Amino acid sequence: MAALNLFAFRAGTTALHRLDVRTKMVLVCMVSLAILAADFTGCLACFLVLYGLIRTIGISFIRLLAQLKWFILLLIIMLLTSSLTIPGTPVFSLSGVMVTQEGMARGALVAVRFFLVMMTGLLFSATTRPTALKSAAQWFLRPIPLVPEKRVAIMISLFLRFLPLILDQAQQTSDAVNARCGNLHKNPVRRIRCLTLPVMKKTFMAADNLCLAMDARCFTEDRTDPAFEKGGKERVFLAAGGGLCLGMVWQAKVSFWMTFWS
Amino acid sequence: MIHPILEIDHLTHTFPSGGGIQDICFCVFPKEFILLAGPNGSGKTTLIRHFNALALPTSGEVRLHGIPVTADKVAARKTVGMVFQDADTQIVGDTVFDEVAFGPQNLKLPLSLIEKNVTRTLERLCLAHLKDRHPATLSGGEKRRLAIAGILVMDPEIIVLDEPFANLDYTSSKDLINTICRLNQDGRTIIMAAHEVEEVIVFATRMIIMDSRGCLAKDGHPVDLLGHLEAHGIKEPCFSRMGYKAPPWQR
Repeated sequence: MAALNLFAFRAGTTALHRLDVRTKMVLVCMVSLAILAADFTGCLACFLVLYGLIRTIGISFIRLLAQLKWFILLLIIMLLTSSLTIPGTPVFSLSGVMVTQEGMARGALVAVRFFLVMMTGLLFSATTRPTALKSAAQWFLRPIPLVPEKRVAIMISLFLRFLPLILDQAQQTSDAVNARCGNLHKNPVRRIRCLTLPVMKKTFMAADNLCLAMDARCFTEDRTDPAFEKGGKERVFLAAGGGLCLGMVWQAKVSFWMTFWS
Repeated sequence: MIHPILEIDHLTHTFPSGGGIQDICFCVFPKEFILLAGPNGSGKTTLIRHFNALALPTSGEVRLHGIPVTADKVAARKTVGMVFQDADTQIVGDTVFDEVAFGPQNLKLPLSLIEKNVTRTLERLCLAHLKDRHPATLSGGEKRRLAIAGILVMDPEIIVLDEPFANLDYTSSKDLINTICRLNQDGRTIIMAAHEVEEVIVFATRMIIMDSRGCLAKDGHPVDLLGHLEAHGIKEPCFSRMGYKAPPWQR
């Protein structure tokens, strides 16, 4: 039995689960764009809203941090890089390397924004069935000429289905290589080759089996489209989300002009 | 006179690298439980993939109700449902419900009918309480039952299972045997490919033994063929080795 990662869909009956997937997609786009324009105050407001919603779907903040540990490490590296490379008022200096106040502020803001976008994505993926996501992609692509929307939607759904399988196979292959002391090889090219070729072979074989299994169940592009479920609170969520986004952007602009004039 | 559902007529499939199946001929009749036994590499999987035109023969033909399976592949795949050996790679859906609904959606059935059929199938295979679960979180036995549910919902006449007991523990194997036997008692024809026959031999009504060259070696009642198993690289069941009759232990 496999453990699910944090981003896998978890069934539930919360308002977010019942929300129409198209509304959720619009909200994710709006909130992500607003996050990119927001400053620390806006980001704090957004964090509180996202945190509350994450709690309602039953994910603890500690687990969130634990699962995102590598991502958080990346954010820390980004923060350090900004602190060391952006010129400004020095906070301290060590052996000629200077950490600046402006660099730290800019790096922290970028890191917080990335983290919030990640939280938004988590909320979306954990409360949305991939099949609903596929249907929404198909719905959004339908008006675009020359785009085979059903084929694209199936490709999205297969990609989402296959990604964990590929990661699982990569982990298994890595364990098998390490079990025979493969991790002691110093040559990185050889290490990558030892991992990549078996994983690719397994992935192609799994893809071949999946094609056969789909064929065996009469797979065709012209299938019954799943209906969109509407929870009835789409307008409330759009209004609240829109209000939050406008508030974040407006606050950032006001803050910018106040700093500029002072 | 009972007409065969499936006729395998001088079927040969060769691979460029060698191996495959050679000149296979037999018929499958309604309500049979056929155990297709053979060692690894004897061509069991290759053979069963011809039953619903997933593989095309080098020569020979497979007919379903007298019509070549290649003439109407969709009908063949509706009539002959196939459960693959590795349940993990055949699961397409993101929840148990979606996985079972995949086949009916391909047949473009109306949504209301899909929901009704899927719910009924899940209840029948005792999976209804898991309908919102992600298939990756199921146990091996549950995944195998889910794979069966995925084809049962399309109402096939014949269910083909490829090594269904691979990687299953005793309890899961027992549950799966009960499920398969129940389907057979309900009137479905079962064809099971296996290299270990101990678990199911007492339930099978017919056994076909394939040899390592990909030829049909024996075809008959399982009890009559017990003495031929070891000669073809298949482990003889324990009761037979010890000189006992087939035990009725799970009937």
